[in-house]
Amino acid sequence: MEQFARERDRLLQASARNVGIAALLVSAVCLGMPGAVDLDTLLLVVPLYVIVGACLLRVGSGRSLFWVVTGLGAGMVILVLVQLPIVAGDNPAAQSAIVTLAGGALASFAIVLVGGVTRVLVLGLGFVASTVLTELALPGSGILSVQAATVVLGWVLAVTFAYWLSASVPRAARRIFSIGRAHRAERQASETEAQRRQGARLLHDTVLATLTLLAHSGVGVSASALQHQAGDDARLLRQLRLGGAPVPKSSEHYNLEPVEESALGHTLESVKQRFGRIGLEVSWHGTGQVLLPSDVLDAFLLALAECLENVRRHSGVTDAHVTITDDETTVRAMVTDAGVGFTLDDVDSARLGFKDSVVGRLKEVGGNARLFSSPGAGTTVVLEVPR
Amino acid sequence: MSGGDRPEENTLGVLIGRRRTGVPAASTAARAVVQANAQGASLGIGHLGMGAGVLCAIEAVYGLAVFATHIGEYPSVLPAVMAWLLFIAAFATVSLTVATRGERFPTWMFIGYLLALGGVVALDFIAIWPLHDIGGHASASVTAGFGLLTALTLRPARELLFAAAALFAAFVAAITLTTPLTAATLPVQLVTISMAVFPPLFGVFVVVRFRRIVQLELDRVLVQSTVSAPRFAVGMLASEELARLDLAAEELLDSVASGRTALPLRPKMASTAASLATELRLHLIEGRRETWLYHAITESEQLGKSATLKDSGSLAGLLDPQQRDGLLAAVWLLVADKKKTGPTAQLVLGPVLPPEDAVARRTITIPIVITTTGVPRGRVDRSIWAALAKVGDFTYSSENSSLRVDLRCIVPNPADQ
Repeated sequence: MEQFARERDRLLQASARNVGIAALLVSAVCLGMPGAVDLDTLLLVVPLYVIVGACLLRVGSGRSLFWVVTGLGAGMVILVLVQLPIVAGDNPAAQSAIVTLAGGALASFAIVLVGGVTRVLVLGLGFVASTVLTELALPGSGILSVQAATVVLGWVLAVTFAYWLSASVPRAARRIFSIGRAHRAERQASETEAQRRQGARLLHDTVLATLTLLAHSGVGVSASALQHQAGDDARLLRQLRLGGAPVPKSSEHYNLEPVEESALGHTLESVKQRFGRIGLEVSWHGTGQVLLPSDVLDAFLLALAECLENVRRHSGVTDAHVTITDDETTVRAMVTDAGVGFTLDDVDSARLGFKDSVVGRLKEVGGNARLFSSPGAGTTVVLEVPR
Repeated sequence: MSGGDRPEENTLGVLIGRRRTGVPAASTAARAVVQANAQGASLGIGHLGMGAGVLCAIEAVYGLAVFATHIGEYPSVLPAVMAWLLFIAAFATVSLTVATRGERFPTWMFIGYLLALGGVVALDFIAIWPLHDIGGHASASVTAGFGLLTALTLRPARELLFAAAALFAAFVAAITLTTPLTAATLPVQLVTISMAVFPPLFGVFVVVRFRRIVQLELDRVLVQSTVSAPRFAVGMLASEELARLDLAAEELLDSVASGRTALPLRPKMASTAASLATELRLHLIEGRRETWLYHAITESEQLGKSATLKDSGSLAGLLDPQQRDGLLAAVWLLVADKKKTGPTAQLVLGPVLPPEDAVARRTITIPIVITTTGVPRGRVDRSIWAALAKVGDFTYSSENSSLRVDLRCIVPNPADQ
């Protein structure tokens, strides 16, 4: 608002300068017409015109009252001077010059004088002086000559303009402020929304897995299994989109609610089903009723899924065994297969995505992973997370 | 990117090609921005338009009064009276329509209004033609120039400028055809032409400037909302983008599940799935790296084109809301203050200074350096210093038109939290 008010003042100042200079130029041209005023008067008046012009330029770039008062003063002196030696009423050029000066150039100072007691006082004085001096210079038949009426018009227009522009600013500011408030709320909502979506990591991991299968045109996986998986994922994404926290039903095995702890059992079942569809039979052994904080559970399941994906791709067998054990401090999963195995030194673990996707994820939640394998003897991975 | 055909805009609604800034297209802010840029009345500009109508009415009262005092000089008064009646009818109709039927001025109505104003000028000229002094006697035709103000906020500036030019041409033509130009008659012609033509030109100037002020203020207020953001934020566009990717994935999966898309996928579909997966992965991993200041600068039209940020440690996120407010205000004042000089500002945050003593260990000091170009020392806004003081202790130096501010911003040590 502060900045806005300053911009408004700038606009008023620039307006005063533009109107004032334009009127002053017209007035000067009128005064410069041959025979408008005699040479002596002209020589006296020209410096004063320069002063008024300079003051208008200064008013255009600053809020100081000094230039306004100086400009108005110089203008009044001109109005007094022009009526001394000549009878201006007989001379249309001088009449035009006076009216344009008093009702245009001087009235434009009024644009920066609306608001504040001192300024309004200066405004009142300037208005009365301009009108009276014009009336004295160019007396009319009635109360007010047409010329003096024109001067009044100029001042009234200037004041109305300044008042109206000033009044428009708070209205705009209020509207903008309420838009800003709505925008802040929207930003917070969008931030929460993004957090919620990013928080649904488990869901996104299965979506990403399915998308990756689709990216390979679904080759290697039965069409019906892929369709089923896609249907599951689409439904969960739809729930995420619509409600925030899709209610996990017994037929759905993903837990998307941001609960503190989740049971391992039914989420394991979903992993098993997913791999079942893409051709790896997973057998579970051991406990299924372990409660884990949801971030730990996420990491644990992602690492587990990653291991099973490696089994599916590289081991050459179609079944794997997962044994879950737990003690007071740790939950442990042992993933074993009877596949081809490999020499640990031969295979760059980074190539398996092991380091990033398995070890990295577990380390994030304070867990660990170990890999045992030799050619022909299958592979065993031990995953550990704290309870 | 599958949604790449949607034109992107920043907070001022400026199309910005591939630059990823701005606010989501469906937000309140986006609607406000569209409104502020629309040709019609919005955000206080409608009120300004009413003011223009009032100015026109004041001038019309004056014109009528002058006409009434000179009525005896007319050889045939009928055309002048008709001119005034036509003007009053047109002005009243337009004012009432705009006031009652919302702030709209449809093209057909504007054309009708311009024709009416043209008729006013023609009738007035016909009435005073035999007097051979257009400038000395024109009344309704001068008011017609003010009449253009009614359309000031509701029609494009160029249309008003064109109308004003036509009015100018009409005056010049009538004067050269009827009035003998001498040193005695020329001044009054000049004054009259100025009175008729200057108001619409001036009005266009004011409305363009006012619109610009409103847009800048809107931009500033929208960006201000980043001040209360968490330490790291996704940003409004990225958030919307994630929602869009989720939706795209859902649609793809759904079409596979329902059998609309046959398996195995055609190569084109498969590559869509691949790029979707890649983008989704990127958004999930990399979303929360940026601070409020980054979002403020990229989302703002004004800051986006003039400010650059170097904050490799994401230290801006540690500033509390008051410090953020001060920093944003200072940068804003530095770059938005001047009109066409094209000032720029570079902000460099960090690296963190070591604590000076044991007491200071609970806090850390972030050095912030703001370097500007194109901002002469003498023209720096005074309120910048107050804004900078909110951020922390500062020193400044200036050289040519470049100002350098060194800030020491003290924040609680994040390790303690």
